[in-house]
Amino acid sequence: MATARTPRSGSPILRLVAVRLVWTAAILLGVSVVAFVLMRALPGDFAIAAAGAQFVQAEVLEAIRREFGLDQPVWVQYLRWLGEALQGDLGRSFVTRRPVTSEIGPRFVVTAQLTLIAALMALAIGGTTGLLSARLRGQTDWVVRLVNGLSLAVPNFVVATLIVLMAGLYFPFLNLFNYTPFLADPLANIGSLLLPALCLALAVSVTVSENTRAAVLEVSSQDFVMVARAKGLRPRRVLGSYLLRNALTPVITVTGLQVASLLGGSILIETIFAIPGMGQYLFDSITSRDYPVIQAIVLLAAAVVVFVNLLVDIAYARADARVRYE
Amino acid sequence: MTADAPLLEVRDLAARFVARAETVEAVRGISFDIRPGEAVGFVGESGCGKSVTARAILRLAPEGSTVALSGSVRYRGQDLLALSERAIRAVRGRRIAMVFQDPMTSLNPVMTVGAQIEDMLREHTDLSRTAIRERAVELLDQVGIENARARVHDHPHQFSGGMRQRVLIAIAISCNPDLLIADEPTTALDVIVQAQILRLLLRLREQMGMSLMLITHDFGVVAGMVERVNVMYRGRIVETGEVDRVFAAPAHPYTRALLDAVPRLAIARGPA
Repeated sequence: MATARTPRSGSPILRLVAVRLVWTAAILLGVSVVAFVLMRALPGDFAIAAAGAQFVQAEVLEAIRREFGLDQPVWVQYLRWLGEALQGDLGRSFVTRRPVTSEIGPRFVVTAQLTLIAALMALAIGGTTGLLSARLRGQTDWVVRLVNGLSLAVPNFVVATLIVLMAGLYFPFLNLFNYTPFLADPLANIGSLLLPALCLALAVSVTVSENTRAAVLEVSSQDFVMVARAKGLRPRRVLGSYLLRNALTPVITVTGLQVASLLGGSILIETIFAIPGMGQYLFDSITSRDYPVIQAIVLLAAAVVVFVNLLVDIAYARADARVRYE
Repeated sequence: MTADAPLLEVRDLAARFVARAETVEAVRGISFDIRPGEAVGFVGESGCGKSVTARAILRLAPEGSTVALSGSVRYRGQDLLALSERAIRAVRGRRIAMVFQDPMTSLNPVMTVGAQIEDMLREHTDLSRTAIRERAVELLDQVGIENARARVHDHPHQFSGGMRQRVLIAIAISCNPDLLIADEPTTALDVIVQAQILRLLLRLREQMGMSLMLITHDFGVVAGMVERVNVMYRGRIVETGEVDRVFAAPAHPYTRALLDAVPRLAIARGPA
């Protein structure tokens, strides 16, 4: 009956987005408190990091702290920061004195690019190996599973370091640390991000691979796959429309959840490959206790994770009509 | 080919599941004929090899298993077991179509029912897009789905079990097959719906003049549906004959046991 059909207009999506925005606000508030308190709980502070030398007069430290408002109780500092943040002012970097937003903006683009390439790589590698190992189950899939086990066991910074080391020793012409901005040369830019993205993608690709394998095995024993074959459909069609379309929806969800770990991994990878992204900047900012920058990056990362999850949920509901927006 | 020549001639068919260490023979020595327009029943308990026999005709092995087939399956004189993969695909669905047991799991949940009829038509016919869409509506209408024009856009979860089986039957008959293999088509449905589906199969068979291979564990389903019946037991056909004769005078003790297993509506007198 036409009237009994699930409405599939834009309104359910809008409702989903509205509900999520409220949640996002709550999540960001929570994250901002945790990040604020944790940074100040760390030994040392900006004044000590800024003064640099080991023997500094207490008065100098006091002066620095007073100048940046660090002499106030933490909750006063937080409320002041929150008040400004709510008006769209994330403050200025303690180190460069430039507005945090203009400091982070260009670096965020680089990290977003790196993470996106890494996510696509993880999907491609994990999807292929997962499908392969499901198809070869009981024969040679142990090769895939062994490689997966190794990729998962070795942390990405070890892989990255080894790659940098090997490239430096045996392929010096590769010129690994030659990061090129996108606007200068788009191709060279993407080329310079491939190896770092691969290091970043490796661990996530294992998650994707194992999930793909499990999903494909589960779906391929479903009756509708047999029906599709009995219909005389060509294998490519059975694989695409029947097997993969059903198997990949959960896989995409899992990959979306991994964006958080990709962002986390980018801190190390960007530092190792000298990529001027947000991760490397966060690392530097933590070292120099540049509180406003750290605060802003953490918030931005949290917002990205929430946003990607929202996208995944929308995509999921689009791909599978049984899923309702809630 | 004369009008009386069998449509399907199965001789000495055997199916062996090949696992790593051992081989399990599921059916052996299966021989039977299905003539054009004829309905033949296959009856036996679970695991007796009825489904394996049906799938062997189209060379459909369960996913992840290897089944070695021997003997011959001649369709209009052509041995299906000797065909290439591509050639057998042109037979599947187009010449010999199948309806399976569980309508709840036999439809792809992420495709509309219309799309699942249409991909079959696209595979086997040269019809235009609009013609294919029209044919899908027509087919849903033919199997008794009301408001077919709107329902082609619905997904399987918006249909009940009985309605889904109707959709699957619509898919199966979409290319006017010569033979419809119905593998326990009513087992997963409740009694009222069972009767409706069986009536639908009867009606379609008459309208389209196709042959029917009806597989069931239930003698009650076979009665009134088929002309001849094959009784299967432990991978073999143990009795074959006109359905009335088999009902009236079962020759094989297993057939007698199966017939006795059909519950009769009677009031029990005293302790059973």
